[in-house]
This record gives sequence, C-alpha cells and structure tokens, in this order.
Amino acid sequence: VSYRDDNRVALENDAVRLDIVEKVCGTARYTADMYLPEMLWAAYIRSDYGDARLRSSNVAAAEKVEGVLEVVLDKKEGRYHGDRMGHVCAESRQALEDAMAALDLKFAASWPKTRLEEERTEIGDLDPARNDADAQKALDEADIVVEAEFQTQVQTHCCLEPHGAVVHFRGDSAIGYGSTQSNIMFRNQLAEELDLRPDQVEFHCEYVGGGFGSKFSADNEGRLAARLSKKYGRPVRVVCNRKEEQLDTGNRPGSMQYMKLGVGSDGKIRGGKIYTWGSVGAGQGGGVQNPSRYNFGTVAKVHQDVALDAGAPRAMRAPGHPQAMFAIELMMDALAEKVGMDPLEFRLLNETNDVRREMLKVGAEKIGWNQRKPGGASAGPIKRGFGIGVGDWGNGPGRAAVGVNVYRNGTVEVLAGGQDIGMGFRTMVGDVVRTHLGLPRELLVVKVGRGDLPPCPASGGSVTSRATAPRAFNAAEMARQAVLKLVAKEWGLENADGLKMEQGVIRGEDKSIEWKQACRLMMEEQISFTTDQDGDFSKRPTQSQAVQFVEAQVDVETGRVRVKRVVALQNVGLPVNRHTIENQICGAVIQGVSYCLFEDRVINRQTGAMVNPDMNMYKIAGSLDVPEITLIIWREDWDVGVNSLGEPPSVPIAGAIACAVANAIGVQVRSMPLTPDKVLAALSEKEQAT
Amino acid sequence: LKTFDYLVADGLEPALAELADGKATLKAGGIDLVDLMKERVIAPEVVLSIGGIKELSYIREEDDGVHIGCLSTLADIGRSDLLKSKYAVLHAAAADAATPQIRERATVGGNICQRPQCWYFRKREFHCIKKGGATCFALEGENKYNAIFGGGPSYIVHPSNVAPAIVALDGEIVVRSAGEQPKRIKAAEFFVLPETSVYTENILEPGQVVEEIVLPSAPSQSATIELREKQTFDWPLVMASVARLRTGWRVCLGAVAPIPWLSQPAIDVLGNRDVTPELAAAAGEAAAENAEPMTENEYKVQLVKMATKRALLAAAGLETPSWN
Repeated sequence: VSYRDDNRVALENDAVRLDIVEKVCGTARYTADMYLPEMLWAAYIRSDYGDARLRSSNVAAAEKVEGVLEVVLDKKEGRYHGDRMGHVCAESRQALEDAMAALDLKFAASWPKTRLEEERTEIGDLDPARNDADAQKALDEADIVVEAEFQTQVQTHCCLEPHGAVVHFRGDSAIGYGSTQSNIMFRNQLAEELDLRPDQVEFHCEYVGGGFGSKFSADNEGRLAARLSKKYGRPVRVVCNRKEEQLDTGNRPGSMQYMKLGVGSDGKIRGGKIYTWGSVGAGQGGGVQNPSRYNFGTVAKVHQDVALDAGAPRAMRAPGHPQAMFAIELMMDALAEKVGMDPLEFRLLNETNDVRREMLKVGAEKIGWNQRKPGGASAGPIKRGFGIGVGDWGNGPGRAAVGVNVYRNGTVEVLAGGQDIGMGFRTMVGDVVRTHLGLPRELLVVKVGRGDLPPCPASGGSVTSRATAPRAFNAAEMARQAVLKLVAKEWGLENADGLKMEQGVIRGEDKSIEWKQACRLMMEEQISFTTDQDGDFSKRPTQSQAVQFVEAQVDVETGRVRVKRVVALQNVGLPVNRHTIENQICGAVIQGVSYCLFEDRVINRQTGAMVNPDMNMYKIAGSLDVPEITLIIWREDWDVGVNSLGEPPSVPIAGAIACAVANAIGVQVRSMPLTPDKVLAALSEKEQAT
Repeated sequence: LKTFDYLVADGLEPALAELADGKATLKAGGIDLVDLMKERVIAPEVVLSIGGIKELSYIREEDDGVHIGCLSTLADIGRSDLLKSKYAVLHAAAADAATPQIRERATVGGNICQRPQCWYFRKREFHCIKKGGATCFALEGENKYNAIFGGGPSYIVHPSNVAPAIVALDGEIVVRSAGEQPKRIKAAEFFVLPETSVYTENILEPGQVVEEIVLPSAPSQSATIELREKQTFDWPLVMASVARLRTGWRVCLGAVAPIPWLSQPAIDVLGNRDVTPELAAAAGEAAAENAEPMTENEYKVQLVKMATKRALLAAAGLETPSWN
C-alpha cells in the first residue's frame, strides 16, 4: 500500500484548525473554566521577597474569615518571591483572598542574590575543561582570535491559561481537570496523591491554553487540589493567578556567555573556549547549548549553574537554545567581520548541515541579502540591517497509540490521548486520518486530551506529531482495509487488492461506491482499530532544520528597534496541515521577537521581589510589533514522516534579530532585551571608541 | 478584591452629593482603579461609578474654547475631527495610547487623574513612600522608567498620556464639588510634585471631581511625539507635546517627571519663532537641561532631546524620521 498515491496529506491541505469555532467563540472549556458545584478554592501562601524571613503573621485572623476551612503556614523562610510557605482553603474566592490579606505577612529581606553577573564564579576560579589545552592550541594556531561576552535575560512562559487543576475525589474514584502538557503524568500523579489507581481517575484536558514547557506534571496546583479534595470530599480548585504564574511556574533561565574563538585566514573556525553561566534560581537547568550548529573546531566548554534567590527555571520552548544562538550568531558576525568575509559566506563555510546550507542560499535571495550594507552604513537616522539565524531539532522515534472508529453512517472518529496545548494536535491527528481516507472534514470527529483515550507522549521536545502521526496513518490504513474488504465481499471479489479509494469513492474495475454507502455494508454499528504500531509509516529519522533571515530597522537617535521582515525557512518532513504549521512558525517568530526586544523578568535588588509580575509591566510583543513574516515550508519530504515543529523555529530568531540590529547600527548590542537604553549605550560606546 | 459597596450615579449632582463626605472612591472607566483594587494597593469601602452619566461625555466648541467632558474616552478623542484638525497635540496623544480596547474604556478624566504606573507603587510587596513607607525604592533599585526631572522624595513619572498635551495647550481643568461653584484651574497648576504632596499627584481633594477640560485657544501648530519600547500596549519612555499659541511655543514633556513637565528652557529658546531644524534641535537640547538621571535612566535624556525636536518638526510640518 502506498499512501503517497491516494491521500491528500500535503501542503494543499488548507483546512482551518478543527477547534477554531470553539476557541474563537469561547465555548472551549479549559481547566480554568471549571466551576463545579460545592467547589472549594485553595491557593498557596507565598513569600513576598527573596531569601526572606517571616517576621510576623496573623493566622488566627485569616482563620476567622467567614468561609475559611483551613490555613496552614508551615514555613518561616521564603527562598524567593512566590515561594510556597503554606496554603489556604476556603468556600469561595472572596474568602480565600480575604484570608490571604488577613494573614498580614511581614517579611524581612536584605539584598538577596538577584544578579547573575554578581553571583557567578569568574573564569579564573572555574575548573578548566578537560580539553582546555587542545582548545588553547587551536587558538594559538589561529590567524585571528575574537573574544566577546553576551548576556540574556530571564523570560517567563506567560501561558495564556494559567497553571491549575480542579479535582473532585469521590471515594473510590475521582475526576480531575488539569492544564497540562502530559495528561497521563498529570492523571497518574493525581492518582498517587489520592491513593487511587490511575484507571480510577477520570482526567480531562481537552483544551490547554499554552504550556511552552512549563506544564509537565500535576504540579504544585494539582497536588494541593488532590490533597484537599480527598480531605473534604468536595471538588477543589487551585488555579494560579497571573502574579503566581509569573513568579512560580518556571522561566527560561538567564545566561552569560563568554566566547573566545580562533579562525584561520581561510575563514574556517579552528576552535577556542566557551564559558557559560545559567541563572537557575531555586532549581536547576540553566544549561546553554553553546556551542552548537556551526563547526567551531576544537572547543573547550565550561558551564556553571548559578543559584539566585528567585523563581526556578523550567523547560521552555527549546531549552538552552535561543539564548545560545543569540551569542553564537553575534559571534559568527564578529568573526566574519574580522576575517573580512560576508556573514552569509562565512556561515556557508562553517555550516555543518547540507539542508541548512541550501536554505541559507534560498533565504538570502528571498530577504534581499545583496542589499545588506556594511555596519551602520545606511543613510539617515533610521538604519536598516540584515541578520541570519539557524536552528535545528532532533526527531526521535517515540511511542504513542491512536484509535480510529468507523461508524455505519460513515463518521470517522479519531481517538488520541495526547493533549492539544495549542499547536493543533487535534487538527494534525484528525487530518492525517481524514486525508489518508480521502474524506471531507464533515465526516471527522476527533477526541483528544483525556486520560481514558489511547496514550500519547507528553508534549515536550516537539515529539507529539512525530510520535502520533505514524500510528494515526496506521490506524487509518487498518480502517481503510476493513472497509475495502466489505466492498470486495459485496462485489463478490476474492480480495480487495484491485480496489482503489480516492476522494471518498471506492473504485473497482467497473464499479464504484461512495464511502458512506460502503460503510452501510457493516454488520455492526462500528468497526474499531487502535494501534501503537507504526506499520511502515515511521520513516527515516532526520532533523528539523530552521533558517531565518531578519530585516530590522533601528532609530539611532532614540535606540528603538523594529523588526520589519522575517523570512523563516523550515523543513517539517511531511507537512500535514498548512494552517497549524504556519501557526507554529509564526508563533515562534513572534515569541522570539518579544524575547529579543522586550521581555524581562525584573527583580528588585533590595528585596528580591519581581517588580513586573503581570502582563502590564512584563512586556510582550503586541500586534503592531509583529513583523511581516514570509514562511517557506521547505521541500516536503515524504521519506522522513511528520517531523518536529514546535521548537525548531524558536531557536534562530533572537540571534538573527541581534545580527540585523548590529548590521544596522555598526555595533553589537550583546545583552538582551535590545531596548533603547542598551542600543543608545552601545552607540555611545562606539562613538567614544572612534 | 476586598468587598465594597458599589453605587451607580445617574447624574453629576447626585454623584457630588454622594462624594461630599469623602468616603466614596470614584470610578469612571475603571481601567486604573480595578487594577489597584485587585492588588489591594487600595481597598475602598465604597466605589461610586459615574461611568454611565452620558451628559459628561462630549467634545464641543464653545465661545471660550473646546470643552471635553470628563467621561469622553480616549477613543472619542481619537475619533474627533475637530481635535484632529485643530488640536493635533492632544489627538495624537490619545489616539495611539494603550490598545483599542482600553481606549474605548479609558476616560480623559480618569487618564489625567490615574495613579502612577511605577512598579513599586503598583505592587503590594513594596511599602513605598507614596503608600506611607519610608523610602522610594527607585533610589537604590531598578529605576529605568523613573523620573529625570522633579524627583524627590518620590521618583514616579506621571502616567497620563493626554496631560502633557493639555498643559502644552495651556488648558484648564474644571473641578466640581457639592454645593460649590465650578473651579477653573490651569492644567499646569493642577498637578503637584511629590515635594509638595507625596501621596497624591494633583490638587484634587476628597469630594472633588474633574468635570471637564477646557482648551481656551487653538494652537497654530502642534504635535505630540511618544517614544515607547513596544508599539502596542506600552507606556511611554518619554513623550513631548508642543503647541504654538498666540503667546508663543509651549513644550510639555511626559513620562520624565512626577508631573507633566513644562519645559521652561525649551520654551525660552523657542519664543514665538518659526521652527527650523536648527531651532528644533536647540530646543531639544534645552529641554534636556538640568535633567538629573538616576542609575538606569540616563537614556531618557537623549529621548527628551529627540522627542522634543521631532515634535517641533512635526508641528511645523517639517520632515521627521519615520519607519517605512
């Protein structure tokens, strides 16, 4: 069976997102929308400052608030602003908030650890890498050596739907609602907390308002809701407010990156030393994926996680990558300039991947790279510049199960337990089945995001499509064969080998029958296939490549930056649904613009309190900040299957913007976000230097 | 939110009567107030809504100038052909503020009376000097968005987008209270520095309401330039509102001081002269004189120069740099 011949899975699938109406009209029910009868409200008591001591509190007053069931304050010290020190459970949101206020917590904090640059260990005091001598040799032998230091800020996930859970324990069973990237993990942890078996917990996350890496477990919210529901036998809701969301649900850690690289007069990078530091707050995982992508030769790399008195990081869309590429792309441009090469030529020379090398050439043409002038050379106060960024992502095989039911009325129901965290999983898995059968959307029903559906992987590492698509193809093929057999039998054929199915019509040598009619041949109401096997639909693993070109404008009199145009090239293997693909790429580009230019978790140095834990002062790109984005979905590749897409396009963008800004103004701004104060400071330093 | 009594006034006189004892907190669009209440920075017992009083929403030309009712929204200003053609300085300040949704809700009265956007003031974790505490956290803390003029003992910047334009136009603010004649106050005298009053940003006393804004005379030339980090939903880093009245130019800066900052040095340089690129640049330099930047906001000095220069060029119809 060759699915290539008779299915519509391809770029021409322009069907809109399956749940577009529910989402636009607000009828999609998210965890945060769950208000159950008799529901209790609970939340954590949190520290106001970093490295804080509780000086006084008034638990008795909080307990006296009408409708309060319990107030537990079991810690005296808060490691960071938002650190959990106990909880309150109450009959209503009003009682909960009043009790929190009545607690009247007074903290003392004095200049906690808030600055990566002050808390890190200096290079001279770090243990050198094992291959330090080799790297030194590469530097010694190089014709040109460039060194530079880069800094990236802390970015918060800003999920539109906050972290949260609503749990109802009912003795020998429970219902749970959770906003999660892994409904199986969430359900299993609820079961553990409730002392139930996983099958006794009915779990729902049919819609999720974003996760970006921060929503993998039942988390603090799910565990508290479960514990309290078990205690009181009533539904309990623990949903973060926006401030809690900004403080205690993870972040992309900040970084500092020192790079010293040597290059030959031929333009080939020989090697050098890279030191990186990651700000991990009260947690771990500050790694920076530097070096990567380009061939840097012999590199000695040393990394240090630096603990600050601030909220802990979590995985965030390509953890460690965008911050690394910010430094790497700027370093590439700095090296190219020293060698006297065009940055594009220099990249082509030091690129490790053939697909990206081709993408670089195509993208350069599309953005108009030949219009690029030397740094700061364009006329007038509004300067124009161009930059390049690259990225990639692996595609492991992964495990998943998908079910397909075909009903006598022709309806095709797709069942997959994965969660649609916004990327369009529901659309993708449905369209794989629908287009494999050549059927219109009207006949399709897709059910995802429930614990009792066939299990799919956690939506992290961009594995969801990669793992589920082959199973969806396989289950669809099983259903297709079953219906073809019914037709063969009806037509008195020995087998279904000679039958073809196109556009919802099954054709024999001299006869044809429509899908709906064929389904009526079924003896029972439905036929059903669930499989965790990928048949011959899992293809050769490959990488998802991403190359992005940026045209930026900088007002050198005010330091303001605008990203004008982005050309984003992306290979996705086998493309399934154009809208959701474009959605992922545009989303990644916009999130990257926001990261590079605006976003910043600002911590007050006297107290360790975050000063901007809301969507007013934590700056996220708005509609007018979004550049013109040209998408090029790289040549469809049938042989590699459906590839990862969530993370790869988010890797290159910050670096590409930074390079475009540097090209515009003739000096690199090596600290994100690229705000007017930093752009003006860089320009002023450049002026003083010349 | 702390629970509160919610009263809805159906006319200005009943609202003034209700406010007379000074207990109720006034709500118009609610954009500013609700945020403060959610954070419990303020927790009023009584909230009095005047938002539904239709007769307080108007923009009309009378013998003594243009009158703008306190409940006119920023969107109303943006849609006004009269303001667009004759008062570009005010029109531009309102038409691009915040987001379309906020502009439809936010009133001009609320906009000039809103509390500071300083993150220390806005967050209950900081018992700052404006809330009765001992210190202004901006002094030793993160002060990128704080004042470079007129600071001390608090270093907030005035948050209003339209106030600098009203001051530049030498507008008047009509204040009402129960049983008293309307008071017309020069906009420049309406706002007060923290050295005079650290807990408030203007002279309003409990029981008083801004009824309308009066713009006595149309400028022959005017413009506002607002410099922001983001283009949507952001607060200005610096703004400059300039207007040429019969008596000469007036230059008022926004987001640089605890009040809309009337720049006398720039006004002195300009007099009533026609703007040339050289004069605009000189006025920009003058506007930045005597600035006292803090540790993280020296960049604002440069932005003051550029905003002033560009506002003058725009007002005079000369070329200004623009994105394309």
